[in-house]
Amino acid sequence: MRGDFVPVAPAVISELAGVVGAPNCISEPAALRTYECDGLTSFQTTPGAVILPASTEEVVEAVRIARRANLPIVPRGSGTGLSGGALPVPGCLVVGLSRMRSILEVDLENAWMRVQPGVFNLDISKHLASAGYYYAPDPSSQSVCSIGGNVAENSGGAHCLKYGFTVNHVLGARLVLSDASVIDLGGPVLDTPGYDLIGVLVGSEGTLGIVTEVVVRILRKPEATRTFFATFPSTDEAGQTVSDIIAAGIVPAAVEMMDRLAIVAIKAATGVDWPDVGAALLMDVDGPLGEVEHTAAQATAIAAARGAIEIRRPKDEAERLLMWKGRKSAFAAVGRISPNYIVQDGVIPRSEIASVLRKISSLTAELGLRVANVFHAGDGNLHPLILYDASVPGDEEKAEHLGGEILKICVRTGGSLTGEHGIGADKAPYMPEMFSEADLEAMWQLRCAFDSENRFNPGKIFPTPRLCGDRPGKYVPTRSELSGEAGRG
Amino acid sequence: MFAGARRGTDADAWLGTVPRWVYSPSTLEEAGDFVSATAHEGMSLGFVGGSTELELGAAIGKLDAVLQTTRLTRIVEYVPADMIVTAEAGLTLGRLAEALAQHRQRLALDPPAFDRATLGGIIAANSFGPRRARFGTVRDLLIGISVIRADGTRVRGGGKVVKNVAGFDLPKLMCGSLGTLGLIATATFRLHPVPEMERTLLVPSCTASQLRALISRLKAAQLEPVSVVALSHRGEGFEVALRFEGFSAGVNEQAARLAKLQQAQGEGLEVLDEAAAQAWWKGHDEARLRGALRAKIAALPGHIESILPQITALQRSLKNASFLWYASLGLGFVAGDPIELEATSRALAQARLQLQDLGGSLVLQAAPRPVRSTVGEWGSVAPAFAVMQRMKERFDPGHRLNPGRFVGGI
Repeated sequence: MRGDFVPVAPAVISELAGVVGAPNCISEPAALRTYECDGLTSFQTTPGAVILPASTEEVVEAVRIARRANLPIVPRGSGTGLSGGALPVPGCLVVGLSRMRSILEVDLENAWMRVQPGVFNLDISKHLASAGYYYAPDPSSQSVCSIGGNVAENSGGAHCLKYGFTVNHVLGARLVLSDASVIDLGGPVLDTPGYDLIGVLVGSEGTLGIVTEVVVRILRKPEATRTFFATFPSTDEAGQTVSDIIAAGIVPAAVEMMDRLAIVAIKAATGVDWPDVGAALLMDVDGPLGEVEHTAAQATAIAAARGAIEIRRPKDEAERLLMWKGRKSAFAAVGRISPNYIVQDGVIPRSEIASVLRKISSLTAELGLRVANVFHAGDGNLHPLILYDASVPGDEEKAEHLGGEILKICVRTGGSLTGEHGIGADKAPYMPEMFSEADLEAMWQLRCAFDSENRFNPGKIFPTPRLCGDRPGKYVPTRSELSGEAGRG
Repeated sequence: MFAGARRGTDADAWLGTVPRWVYSPSTLEEAGDFVSATAHEGMSLGFVGGSTELELGAAIGKLDAVLQTTRLTRIVEYVPADMIVTAEAGLTLGRLAEALAQHRQRLALDPPAFDRATLGGIIAANSFGPRRARFGTVRDLLIGISVIRADGTRVRGGGKVVKNVAGFDLPKLMCGSLGTLGLIATATFRLHPVPEMERTLLVPSCTASQLRALISRLKAAQLEPVSVVALSHRGEGFEVALRFEGFSAGVNEQAARLAKLQQAQGEGLEVLDEAAAQAWWKGHDEARLRGALRAKIAALPGHIESILPQITALQRSLKNASFLWYASLGLGFVAGDPIELEATSRALAQARLQLQDLGGSLVLQAAPRPVRSTVGEWGSVAPAFAVMQRMKERFDPGHRLNPGRFVGGI
């Protein structure tokens, strides 16, 4: 899907350049194309202009100028998102936060840190490593994704099963609103009196304002981590193992599952010496040593009892990291076994894993496609990777259709349209599958309380364009929503 | 006014205000119809759960109607295998715990008045207890919600899976909103396993600086207590309770290691037996609930030494004073009975000024009326207050729901 290119008026460009400096104000169509999509490359729109501000003050000035010129504003971090959350709209101003990459303050005693939004997720933990602290949410893209983007998407990662998501680890933020005012939400001290606006901001996909500073909670590293990698004849035994481990009262730090095709892809891409099996689990338990020794032994015994073919324990940290590297590179690895693929993200109740995987597999077979499954098994967050060949006529449409069907299965089994990639532009048409008109209307009022001009990141989350109006109005569904045929993009 | 509603009596008075009508729906549909009826009449409407936090926030000047959730107590869905539960807002935490215990699971929230506090009330008031140090507060465990809006329509946010980023986070918006945006109808929570064992250890006496050092020591040693609570009665040093939970191997090992650390420092440590531990935590809960004056304070954990003189001054203005400090969180509770109201008000105002300077806050959870009017319940409003006002306007344009109770007169 591609939107039209609508340039921004030269007078506005020169005003913006005056604020951020000419090298940080991009308006040449060729250069703008760098910003035409995020990690979801099937959606592309060249923005009207891009600026790369260096401070909150510059962001404020830019918002003021954009508002006068009535430009939509699309905030952008590293552009690694997978839902088109940073997809420009025609004629918009993209505000890229990648130059705001300073660590502003670290307070180890009180376990928080203040950073600019462009700081990479992993750089926070690297900065703290020598002191023995870290930042818990660990999306697979953590070496390049920005903390501002994580705030927008409420990013998760493998270890959020035990530790929670971005929203559980962000204590405060500085936010530039559409009227160019600056507010601080939350902060290092807990329980600021008033509504939990920081909780609302995290996961709002850049629709409420531009985050220019983030206060994150940092954690002391656990004393010990035990990892095991277990292989199984099929995803049935692997899924049952996960259920049994959790029923035994163990809260693993992470439990990841990969099916046969995913294992093949990861082997091809990374050279890990994993066997050809129907499914594999990669699991971490962490915490105080005594606790971890106990839970690791118990979990291993459960895997064996459930028919594990082989159980490997890494002999050292290097081998452990290699195992995790295999898992974290899974998305890209699929490129080794298929010319094109779609990364899907949906959630199902954990107890439905086996039945949903069977449904996906039969749908896939009907369409003559292949799906590799990599997922966070502990919390039922599926990442089906739908393999197709764009050079085969009709294949891409089939793949997109399958992606949509998988989402509907997730919602119908009591799950969610997205566990960590966000709704963005990609899944906005599917929101009525999960939420009623009244639900969406309530969410829209929340958005209007922050940005009544609908200036920030229009076209995301909500299936149809709406206005805030002076007074809250009744939400009127479109015809396609009423007929239940909301289609993709 | 509405079939089934009754006239309010003095027994229904809420901070001195008697509601004209009181209604206790037995279904969510009835609740929605009642909210809608009050909207048609333009009536102000208050929400009441287990009545454990009625004194939190400002008095509502004129209260046309009160909706009590005490009959909305159904467990809508409990899936032990997925470790999630959905229940109606009027269910008490105690009753929920009984149902979950059959599967050795629990909702890891432990506010005082466990047997009376309702799920809806806990969400609305952001009530929490000592286990917050490990499991977070209600915002961290609430994964889905349904809310009856000011016009009576019921809306949902979140879902029933732990991992879910679809749409705006209405559950978070409702946490701590004190009934000013809508009536919490049902709530879905993430559950945790009941631990195999728990053990409480007591540092019988330490100063504020020793307390800070203790917290640092715990972190350096990578010990992971689920609760660290310091108790002081007159500002003359703390008694510190540390609780470990988990599998026995882990709990025993952590307790032994802590004992060694304390010994090396020349500081004491008692291991409480089960009865003594239960008594200590019961005493803690009672201290949280006792007193005509109860104030919640928030600061950074490391601020304890600098704020202690003001806290001590406040304690000296009270009889039966207690100060509970959740040392790893930076949250505390001062409670007691004012000896002389003006002195207490002055001490509160001074403590609040200092806390606000440090980026923290002091909120009255209960106070005699003269103290409320002198000091104010909430303190200065947050920098984001304008957005909060707009949020109220968007969700309750008639300003009917718990009007004036919340921050800044919202």
